[in-house]
Amino acid sequence: MVIARLVPRGYLFTVLGIAVGMAGLVALGGMAERITRFIEGGDRFVLGQISVAGQGLGMGAGFTGGGLLPRGKLQEILTVPGVAAVQAQVMLPLNPVTSQFLTLTQELILGLDLSVPMPNRHYRELPVRAGRFLRSGDRREVVVGADFAAARGLGPGSRLALDGRDFVVVGVLERTLTAPDRFAIVGIEAARDLWLAKDPLLRQVFGAGASLSLQDLNTGAAVGWVDGEDPDAVARRIAQRVAGVNIAIPSEVSRLLRNSTAFFSALIVGIGTLGLLIGALSLANTVTAALFERIRDFGIKRALGATDLQLLAEVLRESLVVSLAGGGAGIALALALGWGIHGWVARQGQQLFLFSPRLLAGAVVFSLVLGALAAAHATFRIARVPPAEAIRRGS
Amino acid sequence: MIRAIGLTKTFSTGVGAPVVVLKGLDLEVKAGEYLAVTGPSGSGKSTLLNLLGLLDGADSGGIWFGEERVSSVGRRRQALIRGSQVGFIFQAFHLIASLTALENVALAARYVGGDRADAKRRAQALLARLGVAHRTRHYPAQLSGGEQQRVAFCRAVLNDPPLILADEPTGNLDEDHARVIREELRARARERGTTVLLVTHHPEAFGEADRVLALVDGRLAEP
Repeated sequence: MVIARLVPRGYLFTVLGIAVGMAGLVALGGMAERITRFIEGGDRFVLGQISVAGQGLGMGAGFTGGGLLPRGKLQEILTVPGVAAVQAQVMLPLNPVTSQFLTLTQELILGLDLSVPMPNRHYRELPVRAGRFLRSGDRREVVVGADFAAARGLGPGSRLALDGRDFVVVGVLERTLTAPDRFAIVGIEAARDLWLAKDPLLRQVFGAGASLSLQDLNTGAAVGWVDGEDPDAVARRIAQRVAGVNIAIPSEVSRLLRNSTAFFSALIVGIGTLGLLIGALSLANTVTAALFERIRDFGIKRALGATDLQLLAEVLRESLVVSLAGGGAGIALALALGWGIHGWVARQGQQLFLFSPRLLAGAVVFSLVLGALAAAHATFRIARVPPAEAIRRGS
Repeated sequence: MIRAIGLTKTFSTGVGAPVVVLKGLDLEVKAGEYLAVTGPSGSGKSTLLNLLGLLDGADSGGIWFGEERVSSVGRRRQALIRGSQVGFIFQAFHLIASLTALENVALAARYVGGDRADAKRRAQALLARLGVAHRTRHYPAQLSGGEQQRVAFCRAVLNDPPLILADEPTGNLDEDHARVIREELRARARERGTTVLLVTHHPEAFGEADRVLALVDGRLAEP
C-alpha cells in the first residue's frame, strides 16, 4: 500500500485511525460549508437589489411576498430619484403543493423582463455552464439551474414541459449552491402565461373584464440604484413616493434572512463543533495512544542519551508526518464519500457537501496543530517516567 | 571510576508495605575493572544497575563518576552522561522493533552529536566483528536471540563508553552465543580499559570477572 510506504514503520493503524476521524470532520465540515454557502448566496442576492412587490398577501412573490405589481407602479418607481433600473419579474412555485412547506429549497419558475438588464449588483448576469442565457424575445426557451437540470437530466437542447407547455432548454447555469440552482428561468411573457394557467382566480379576474393587461401581471420587480446612492435610502424613498407596494429594505431583508436561517446557522456551529470535537479527540487520542504504545522505545532512547528536547523533536517530526498522512487520507476518504453520496442525491437535485479549499486547508492545519499538541503532551508525560520504568512498562 | 555511597531504593507495590530493595548500598569500581554482581532473583541487581546508569533515581545516597556527583546533576546533563559514558546491555536486548539492526546500532550515536555517516561506518564494522554483518538490514523480529544480543552489544559499545552496565546479557542465550558476549565484554575491559559491571547469576561468568560481589539484603558483600 502507498500509505504504508509513506508513514513511519509501525504507524499504519495510527494513520488509519486518524484518517477515520478526519474523514468525519471533513464530511461534517463539508455539510456546514454547503449550508453556509446557501445562506451567504441568499444574503448576497438580497443586498444586491431592492425587491419590490405589489401590496397584498399573495404568495410566490419571491423575497417580498405580496400581490400584483402593475405596470403603472413600475413606471412610478422608475421616476423615484436614485433608481437606475426596474426589472419586472414573475416568480412562481413550480409545484404549489409543496412550495408552502419547503420555502428554502423549492423549485421556482422565474420570469424576467429581458428587455431590462439585470439590476442586481451582485448578479449582473447568472453564470451559464452550458449553452446560453435567455435573450430578449425568447418565449419558449428556458434556462435551468444546476440542481434543476441534474434532477431531470437536462442539458442544452432538452425539452421541458412546464404546466403542459413545452420549452426548450437553451442553457444550464453554473452551480451557485443557492436559490438559482433550483430555478427554471423563462422570459416574463412565458411566465405570465404559466401564471394564468396555474391560477384559476386570476383567469376569472381577466374573464370578468377587469382593467388589467398582461403587462400588469408581475409578482415583483428588482430595482437597481444609481452609483453612490445608499440602497436602503432609495428603498425608503420608493416607499414614501409610491403607494401600494411592498418594499424590502435590503439591509432589513438581509437581517430577516439571517434571522430566518438562524436555525441553519446554529446547525453549522453545532456541526462544526461536533466535527472539531470528534476530529480532535480521535486525532489526539490516536497519536497519544500510539506514542504510549512505544513507551519502551522512548525509555531505550533515553538510556542511549536522548534529552527531553531531542525526544520532543523526534516525536514531533514523526507525529507531523503521521498526522499529515492521516489527515490526507481522511480528506481523501471524505472526498470519496462525498463523491459517492453526491452521485446518489444529485439525481434528486441536491448537493449535500461542499469541500471548499478553506475547509480542506483548515483540516490539514487542524491535523498538524493537533498532532503537534498531542505529541508534545504525550512527550511531556513520557518524559516524567524514569527511563527504567518506561522500559519496564513497555516490555 | 564509579562510586556509590548509601544508595537506598524503595518500591511501592500498591499492595502491602513498600519493598526496600537497596538499603544504604556502597560500591566502588575502578576504571577498567570487570565486576560481576550476583544474587537471587528480586535481590535488586537490576535496580542497582538502573541507579548506576542514571535510568532511575535513588531515594537517598549518591553516585559519582570520577569526581562528578552524577546523581545530582540536571536531567539534560544526566542524558548526556548516559549517552557518552554509559553503555547498557539488557537481558531482553531491547532493540527498537521499527529499526533495522544497523539503525539500532547507529542510534547510539544520534543523541551524542556524532557524525551520522561515521556512526554508520563504525556500526557496520562492529556488526562485522560480531559476525552479524549479513543481518544489517534485518529488523529485530527477523533475528535470532543470539543475533539480537550481538546487535545490542554493538549498540552499547558504539560510542566507546568508559562504563558498560550489562544486566543478565546472556540470560536468554545458549552457551555458544553467551560465550561470545562474555568474551567481548572481557576484551573491552582488558584492551580498552572499559569498566564493566555485569549482573548475572550464571557462575560461568564469574571466572572472567576481576571481582565478584553478591547483593544480599540490599547490600553488596563478598560471596
